[in-house]
Amino acid sequence: MSELPSMDSLLAADSVDAGCAAGFEALHRYVEEELAGGQPAVAHPGLAAHLASCPACRADYLGLVEATEIFGEAGPSTT
Amino acid sequence: MVKAAISALRSFHEGWLAVTVENPSRVSEPEPARPPMDDVSRAWVAGLTTSGPAHEGCVTALHGLLLRVARHEVARRSGSLRVQGRELEDIAQQATDDSLMAIRSKIASFRGDSRFTTWAYRFVMFEVSTKMGRHFWRDHRATLDEDAWEQMPDLRSSSPDQHSVHRELFAALRRAIDQDLTALQRRVFVAIALNEVPMDAFARELGTSRNAIYKTLFDARRKLRASLSAAGYQPPFSAVGSQ
Repeated sequence: MSELPSMDSLLAADSVDAGCAAGFEALHRYVEEELAGGQPAVAHPGLAAHLASCPACRADYLGLVEATEIFGEAGPSTT
Repeated sequence: MVKAAISALRSFHEGWLAVTVENPSRVSEPEPARPPMDDVSRAWVAGLTTSGPAHEGCVTALHGLLLRVARHEVARRSGSLRVQGRELEDIAQQATDDSLMAIRSKIASFRGDSRFTTWAYRFVMFEVSTKMGRHFWRDHRATLDEDAWEQMPDLRSSSPDQHSVHRELFAALRRAIDQDLTALQRRVFVAIALNEVPMDAFARELGTSRNAIYKTLFDARRKLRASLSAAGYQPPFSAVGSQ
């Protein structure tokens, strides 16, 4: 097993945390704003808090950032 | 006892999720001003909502694209599981089929507030995570390590003086885990936070959702923070003993 995170991250429980379901609904906007050089945590503080403490949604977020960078331009006639 | 707690968790969280859906202002992020939909996204939506050969061609193109995304994501995550070769390809194929189904059923809810592809790839990420979670337990049937915090960097990197203070802090945390959490909260916290069990794998084990597991983890964390606070420890815990 890899080294555990710090105790602060282990016990992270931010009261503005949006949760997994609400976070999923905003994740695409969050990722696009980030890739455009914006600060999505300002517009989406609940999702930012959630991504900092939910390992599953953070993994989805990292995957979505990468997929959008690599495959984001694809259209129905270019695939 | 744990079975009863799991049953209660399912019913409670079904209610919690219903509240979330019915009252999105409670947890949802604010809706931004919506820019006009870009041409590529408009082409995807047109193809998926029309009929005939154009629709079939669009669905075929989307399936191929989602499969490439799923293969990439499965490969990205494969280091966390001892899965390879044909099994990885099966996971990618299943995730592609299920995400395509989700996208087609939800296309009416796509409002153009991002590119279509970014909106659609979320479903691939979720399906890959869920399907990889199914494989976790096959190689991880060993008992969970309740002393996993011995590996915490706070403890390992501290000076001898801090080390002693941190030992007391960890002892207080352990007491709180043993005494203040419910059986289910303890099980979830030890698995997810201390043993890094993937949340989707654990949700599958308990027959519930990622969201429900996270809510239990969140409640456990809040309870533990309150317990530590009552014992005289305040966050940031990394600073305890360093003054």
